[in-house]
Amino acid sequence: MAASISGLLKPWTPRVLLVRWSRYNPYYLEPEVRKEAYSRPESELSAEEKEERELKKLRPIKAATNSTTSSLFNDPVLSKFINMMMKHGEKTLAREIMMQTLENIKRKQVEKYHKATDGQKEGIECNPYVVFHQALENCKPVVALASIQKGGKYYQVPIPVTGNRQRFLAMKWMITECRDNKHRRTHMYEKLSQELLAAFANEGNVIRKKHELHKMAEANRAYAHYRWW
Amino acid sequence: MAAQGGVLFQEKVSRLLSRENGKPVLKPNRPLILKDSVGNRKPRKGEASCVTEMSLLMACWKQNNFVDSLCSNEINTFYTCVHKAEAARKNMSEQSNVTGGRLTPKQATTLLKRFPNLRSEI
Repeated sequence: MAASISGLLKPWTPRVLLVRWSRYNPYYLEPEVRKEAYSRPESELSAEEKEERELKKLRPIKAATNSTTSSLFNDPVLSKFINMMMKHGEKTLAREIMMQTLENIKRKQVEKYHKATDGQKEGIECNPYVVFHQALENCKPVVALASIQKGGKYYQVPIPVTGNRQRFLAMKWMITECRDNKHRRTHMYEKLSQELLAAFANEGNVIRKKHELHKMAEANRAYAHYRWW
Repeated sequence: MAAQGGVLFQEKVSRLLSRENGKPVLKPNRPLILKDSVGNRKPRKGEASCVTEMSLLMACWKQNNFVDSLCSNEINTFYTCVHKAEAARKNMSEQSNVTGGRLTPKQATTLLKRFPNLRSEI
């Protein structure tokens, strides 16, 4: 039932109809959950978007996961972070920790806001979602090292790192740092909120790890020509 | 076309294997049967893209002690270069796939595996 190359793909329906699995035939398209994409009038669409819409009428579409919603509060980055934090499939626990983290961030920022003088008040960001996104942005590395073999030896070559990999590395570092390098009797939401606020201010262990990676890449810049892409 | 040339080809192979005209030309140690796969083509190695932008970025980092906010211009140029190189590579691979009229080794192998060589009568 699996089709290998798109040249051999033909319109077909499977014998067993799929509920949301993680592996789909590449013929299936991703669902569009955002409401704004559907409320746009015909005139605003470009030619490619019209073609895409036509295609979506004919092709089968993957089922949306339980955690995606079309509400305003649906955040794919946040959902990805919650999934990465999840252990043993306990999504409710992971989500609870994340909500407590955001509440904790808000509390700390509001406390700072009330204690600050009038001049400083505008500089303090109270929206926890903005803090979360900015902290992750600050943690994303620009270049990473890859092990490339040349002439029998392996060299650490600096390579540009793309969007998904950057996001993954930032989230992974954040979670592992909070799990391993903090005092064992603090709650995860407490550790996460401390680390996220530090990353928002460009301090803390995760930012330090990113800088160390950049330093290693800078030290190995002579090997940059060993890349072939 | 295989049917017309098939009988002649079999006769030629049997002539190469026979001992009637002196020593046989072919001495196969494995049965003369076609495999269901095609050998891989070695892709041509390119050179590294965006090396100049990367070196500029690293020089900026060295000067500013790796603070990212002061090097935002270099970071942006680096990202644009990376995106362009990615798009160019995709275009190249798409072009070479669509034109040519030949199958890539992977496609040929998949096709052959779907219709394999019959080794025994069924």
